[in-house]
Amino acid sequence: MRHPKDMSRRQFLTRAGGAAVAMPSLAAILAACTKPGTASSGGNSALDNIPIATLDAPVTLPTVQDPIASDAPMESGPLILYNWADYIYKKVVQDFETKYGVDVQITTFNNLEEGIQKVVNGQVVPDVFVPTPGYLRRLVAKDLLQPLNHDLIPNMTSTVWPSYSNPGPYYDLGWKYSVPYTIYTWGVAYRRDLIVPGNETASDQSIAQQGWDALWNHDYAGQISLYDSYGDTIAITILRNGSLDVNTQDPAVIDAAKQAIEQTINDNDARLTINGVYAKLPAGDYVVAEAWSGDIVGAQFYLPKNLTTDVLGYWKPADGKTMIGNDLLVIPKSSQNPRLAHAFLNFMLDDKEGTENFTQWNGYQPPFNSIQPDTLVKDGIVPESLASAVVTEDMFKKDLTPYELPPDVDQLWLDAWTEIKAGA
Amino acid sequence: MSVAVTPEAPARGIRGYIRNPWRKPRFLQATTIGYLLWSMLPVLIAVFFSFNSGRSRSSWQGFGLTWWSTSPTDSILHDAEIRAAMLQTFKLSFLTVIIAVPLGTLFAIGIDRWHGRPARAANFTMLLSFVVPEIILGVSLYILFTSLFKDIIPLGTNAQLLGLVAYQVSYPVIIVRARLLTIGPEYEEAAMDLGSTPNQAIKRVLLPLLIPAIFASVALVFADTVDDFVTVQALSAGSTSQTLAMKIYSAARASPTPEVNAAATVMLITTLLVIAGGVLFYKRFSKGQELGGATDFAQL
Amino acid sequence: MPEIATETTTPVEQEQTQEPRRRRRRRRGGPPASEERSGVWYPRWYWPSFIAPGTIALIFLFVLPFYVVFSVAFGTVDFNNFGTAVPYYAPWWWSFHTFNGTLQQFYAGTHIYQAPLFRTFEYVIAASIICLVLGYTVAYYTARYATKYKGLILILLVSPFWISYLMRIYAWQGLLDVNGPINKILGPFGFGHTNFLEGKPITIILGLVYGYIPFMILPIYASLDRIQESLLEAGRDLGGSGAQTFWRVTLPLSRPAILAGIVIVTLPMFGDYYTNDLLGSTKTSMFGNLISQQTEATAGSTRAASLVLILSVIVLIPMMYYLRETRKQVEQA
Repeated sequence: MRHPKDMSRRQFLTRAGGAAVAMPSLAAILAACTKPGTASSGGNSALDNIPIATLDAPVTLPTVQDPIASDAPMESGPLILYNWADYIYKKVVQDFETKYGVDVQITTFNNLEEGIQKVVNGQVVPDVFVPTPGYLRRLVAKDLLQPLNHDLIPNMTSTVWPSYSNPGPYYDLGWKYSVPYTIYTWGVAYRRDLIVPGNETASDQSIAQQGWDALWNHDYAGQISLYDSYGDTIAITILRNGSLDVNTQDPAVIDAAKQAIEQTINDNDARLTINGVYAKLPAGDYVVAEAWSGDIVGAQFYLPKNLTTDVLGYWKPADGKTMIGNDLLVIPKSSQNPRLAHAFLNFMLDDKEGTENFTQWNGYQPPFNSIQPDTLVKDGIVPESLASAVVTEDMFKKDLTPYELPPDVDQLWLDAWTEIKAGA
Repeated sequence: MSVAVTPEAPARGIRGYIRNPWRKPRFLQATTIGYLLWSMLPVLIAVFFSFNSGRSRSSWQGFGLTWWSTSPTDSILHDAEIRAAMLQTFKLSFLTVIIAVPLGTLFAIGIDRWHGRPARAANFTMLLSFVVPEIILGVSLYILFTSLFKDIIPLGTNAQLLGLVAYQVSYPVIIVRARLLTIGPEYEEAAMDLGSTPNQAIKRVLLPLLIPAIFASVALVFADTVDDFVTVQALSAGSTSQTLAMKIYSAARASPTPEVNAAATVMLITTLLVIAGGVLFYKRFSKGQELGGATDFAQL
Repeated sequence: MPEIATETTTPVEQEQTQEPRRRRRRRRGGPPASEERSGVWYPRWYWPSFIAPGTIALIFLFVLPFYVVFSVAFGTVDFNNFGTAVPYYAPWWWSFHTFNGTLQQFYAGTHIYQAPLFRTFEYVIAASIICLVLGYTVAYYTARYATKYKGLILILLVSPFWISYLMRIYAWQGLLDVNGPINKILGPFGFGHTNFLEGKPITIILGLVYGYIPFMILPIYASLDRIQESLLEAGRDLGGSGAQTFWRVTLPLSRPAILAGIVIVTLPMFGDYYTNDLLGSTKTSMFGNLISQQTEATAGSTRAASLVLILSVIVLIPMMYYLRETRKQVEQA
């Protein structure tokens, strides 16, 4: 019973099977046969050995390609924005969509490490990405970003603080790859009506006296929130322990911070969250929290109906005893819509749009000339109780700046964090 | 208690109750009812809270369709992201069923009939893929697709589909195999004695006999894929490959609103309709055969 | 009489007379006698072709990834490239440095992984026992006593399968909230404001039970359902009490199903991490959380892969036992 069909089916199967097995495996096997070398930069020596930038030693990042041409055609999108969760006002995004007639897709990450990983291994191919300066050098070194065409972002020089464009921030002199998105300080956010119940002034005084120790206070057990981010939480614990070296390389200091964090988690049920400040503090789930200044200002939009903004408080440590920083908008090299991405950056730096993002939703202040810290409180944009959350330009000179850590030091910090997360 | 009036009744009271072999199983009954309530109530409450007019999922703030249609940015009607996630979930489930069920059914038939050593090895691997914890499979595939197959199969829907097929293909195998154990080779042999080719015998005799098992597999694979989380999370890439399970997870860890409740309710109803439809369809298709979906699965 | 008919054979008969030659040449793994007797012939490659697609899928999507996990676990990371993994595919390059380091964290030095490991075993064993006891009770009642409402109960028992696991745990998250319904109910009893979600083992254990118990109930129900009433009556007729009949007749007959249920429930629990993510905190982290944390951490891939290998070894023993048992049962069937 030999059907001609049977014969060809067997042939087909063997051939199909063979092809399916052979092709990708062949390529992979060939690649795998050579031992992976160490640290290959992919061929462009200009990107090797970029030094780590500090305020005293600012860095001009090298460019290995030209920015896109000013007359490049506008793409049709969709624009893929890879951003922190809850970090941009949807209405502003919709305004951009209407203005340029494109779709914007927002993919979010809860944790910058996770975000970086996904961009690096190509899991997400964004057109606009929002990292911190600590990652900029590595992103450029791995040729993952494209340089910006300044002509396409005129708002940078007209709206933003001049120091960001001329000479430019310490991590990116000449703003070759990045524009600033928001600026913020680190502090302690708290509920003024719950620390000393009913007496808000006394609450302010109490927290101001405790400082960072408020996050270690057993009276607030079960209602303490720390950020689920290794750099931030370890750094503020180092500050709490008394040191001012937030970029420390000393294993003993890191170890002490690790133990302190574990202690407050175990004894006081401190939780590691990312959105605890704006999502849960207004609801009363937390009464003290490690906070970025923008988070607590944004928390006013999450208050339940029966509470006023008076219940929110922010303690900013004295000058020089806390950190200040900013987030960046960058355009990855693999972006499919570079021209549109430039337009988006320009849009976010537009006076009206960027301010709307801040005042109506985000709570994070952009470094705009038009935003005067003195008038923010007067105009009611920032509640009076949160006046300390306003960021001024001189703070950048007085307060501490978190830098990128060298890889081996970074590993110490990461190992400490692994132990904390394992709940050992 | 039931022992009230019969003259031959043994001792009354608790002792009598326990000794009576035909007593009503009140303890078991209470436990079962309690279990069912415990099992169903949270979900019903979650569905209920999707109609909450406020943001809370735990304190009732009045009835409202805020999260279903009225809110301009956060209702499932207007939130494109949630709709995209629901679509992605169904897309993946549908495609996984189409690929995994035939693959698994063929595999089961082959394993049942062929007894060579390679068959045993293949069967062993298949069972292994069934019992392995999903995180192992998810992380392994993630590592595979970001190293060896890095540019060949990018992460995203394709990778998610492959991962789901890998995880689900053992379900149909087990169910169909259990069924095959009760069907002997006699039917096909009779068919072939009567002159059919092996292919025809399979198609016209065996497959119809397997319809209940295949339907059970379809239902199980579909339902399992709709709520699969670990694999799709590990192999996702960007917002286009987010499924509803991932949305629920990230919402639950961040700031959950009843919008998620509403979306989950939609998924619930849809899955229910699909399964109910499948059951009705199968019942019409093959009368007189045992509805052994759960029991077939249980016969491992 | 026959001497006339034999020379004109039909094609079918011709092919049939060819069969014995074919069969003698076949050198297969040995089909059982019943097949030989039936006289049906399949081409040699017939059944293998059924198995082929599934096997190829498994090889590429199950066996190969596992090998890659080995390669990554015994490879290294590129610190200059955000700590991405550099797998060493060829075994002679494998470096066991990270793997040893990870393994040692279970028993030596700072042993940061020891507590999560013990916790995982604690929670899984506790949850499995509760699943078994509660599940058996419900299955027993449904199989033996629930005549009127059996269909309804079965539907309700099967329903967790098509309600998303995450949704069910998410529903509990809402209920266990400090200001949620459970606390409101417990308020009058004085337990009032317990924060169930701050890292209590009981929450995790009950969460695991809630999620996995349907997988225990259905196999046991199926097996109890199949036990014929006559066997139980026989036990009773021979003088056994209810308890004795249960212990000596019902329980042994349902033993394979109990085993299956335990395995289906316990093994996935070892790798569960989202229950803790939603209902617990770092204080109750489980093995799965260790893996998921390392997959997200910078330069964590080798450690994640090492942890995956260690977890595989941990679940390997029950898996093997289970597979051996099922194979025995299949052969007996």
